[in-house]
Amino acid sequence: MIGTAAISIRQLCKRYGSITAVKDLTLEVSAGEVFGFLGLNGAGKTTTIRVLLDLLRATSGEAFIFGEDCRTRGLAARAQIGYLPGEMGVFADLRGGEVLDLLGGLSAGGINHAYRKKLMDQLELPASVLGRKLREYSTGMKRKLGLIQALQCEPRLLILDEPTEGLDPLMQEAFYAILDEWRGLGRTIFMSSHVLSEVERVCDRVAVLRQGELVLLSTVKDARNLAPRRVRVSFSRAVDATPEWPPQYALVRRTADTWELQVEGELGPLLTLLSGLPVRDLAIAEPKLEDVLVKYYRGTAA
Amino acid sequence: MKMGLLLRYSWRRVRWLLIASTLLLTGFQILMVVVARSIQRTNSFAQMAALMPPFVRELMPGIAGVLSFSGMVCMGYFEIAVIGALTALAIGLGTMITSEVEIGFSDLVLARPVARHTVVTRSILLLVISVVLVVGLMVAGTFAGLAWFAPDGVRWPPTAVVRSLALNLGVLTLAWGAVALAIGSAMRRRGAAGAIAGLLALTMFLLDYVGRAWKAAEPYAKISPYRYYASFDLLMGKPIPSLHLEVLAGITVCSFGLAYWLFARRDITR
Repeated sequence: MIGTAAISIRQLCKRYGSITAVKDLTLEVSAGEVFGFLGLNGAGKTTTIRVLLDLLRATSGEAFIFGEDCRTRGLAARAQIGYLPGEMGVFADLRGGEVLDLLGGLSAGGINHAYRKKLMDQLELPASVLGRKLREYSTGMKRKLGLIQALQCEPRLLILDEPTEGLDPLMQEAFYAILDEWRGLGRTIFMSSHVLSEVERVCDRVAVLRQGELVLLSTVKDARNLAPRRVRVSFSRAVDATPEWPPQYALVRRTADTWELQVEGELGPLLTLLSGLPVRDLAIAEPKLEDVLVKYYRGTAA
Repeated sequence: MKMGLLLRYSWRRVRWLLIASTLLLTGFQILMVVVARSIQRTNSFAQMAALMPPFVRELMPGIAGVLSFSGMVCMGYFEIAVIGALTALAIGLGTMITSEVEIGFSDLVLARPVARHTVVTRSILLLVISVVLVVGLMVAGTFAGLAWFAPDGVRWPPTAVVRSLALNLGVLTLAWGAVALAIGSAMRRRGAAGAIAGLLALTMFLLDYVGRAWKAAEPYAKISPYRYYASFDLLMGKPIPSLHLEVLAGITVCSFGLAYWLFARRDITR
């Protein structure tokens, strides 16, 4: 048993011939955390998730779910997981209700029918829809069905691959509300996503993968603080002064009576530099997680 | 419990294919009785036997046995189309596991506390149940056809002969299902798995055919599973050689074992 972490990944490698999908990934997700797993397409997110589910076999390294080895104790590990794949792979001639009953029946805890009903209400999926064949389902309806199948047995750990893909904004909000409930109940959520605003909204911590390697592991708050802040200084008249900027300051745009700066780190020196100038207004934009993550995606982060 | 759920789901997936195949093959058995009655009534069996060239008798020593009422009735168990249909059905069922991987359904099932061997065992059970059902109903069709359409006074095929033909055909079908399952357990595309299994079956069928007609090819034909379904000998009342059952059972068991081994070790990826 490896501690009590919900997910523990140690030096995980997965290679397909000469291609390395995941390289030396070490990661720990605590119980009760909402964890965002980010990266561009092909970064290795889905591969990592599939190793956790023992669908893929790691080339080297280990992965554990609540201390159970995903490979050698796979059944015990998977008994604690609810999984939403990126794409629901179900045969179109099955009915929605059959899919939920089958997948619920195969899960460890059994279906909580009252909770399933509540989820259907929250996600606005009428009971009558469950009697229809999946070929009649829209993309959004399939996604809702996918969420319900993952959640209906109330697992300790949810693994969600691009959970809001195909959901309209209202349903995304409904989904976030469900996640908030789960967070309140102390359950663990591990989700991959492309939607950075979503990650910023729901996750406690994030990891960024680039070409199979972990390039950032941080709390959302700390990651946001890594972002440069945009500061706009307006003057009451034209200003000629050209101050010597500290190294973490960059003048992005300048007109006669405005400066736009990108500031990394503290703002104190800026106030000193502006002290003798006719400042009319000072606007500081909140740092955006997106700005940081995009840098990591591109590999331009320091 | 989980096995029951998986089996029920799998049955739902294949039920129309199975029902249609069973109806066709059972109907064919009844039709063979009707055809045999028609020939019997015109007393044409003796004429047909007389017209048969000697080289055909030499090539297929048991062919004369077909030229009787009971032989014609039993033809429904070794007619090429019937053997081909059963082989195709077995390949379809055996490669079902590949379609589940291809479409991503395996992801949903195996992401739960379901062992991979459970999925393979489900496929084996489905295969066995389907083969027993189809071949069993073919036998029922034969005897129902005889009861309804056999002319008075004509000799029915002995029950033991029908039983031997059905048993040997069933074991042969199961062997092909097992081979297809082994192939399908390692592959990602059902089309590719089905094509490989189908081409293998066709190659083995042709090899057996050539082996029967050409002495030089006979030793090679021994690798063909079809070699171990000597329908004409069974029609003549000979029992199934134990070697035949042993070889077909051996192919089946080894293929099932290979399927477990391959499916347990593979990456489940689309």
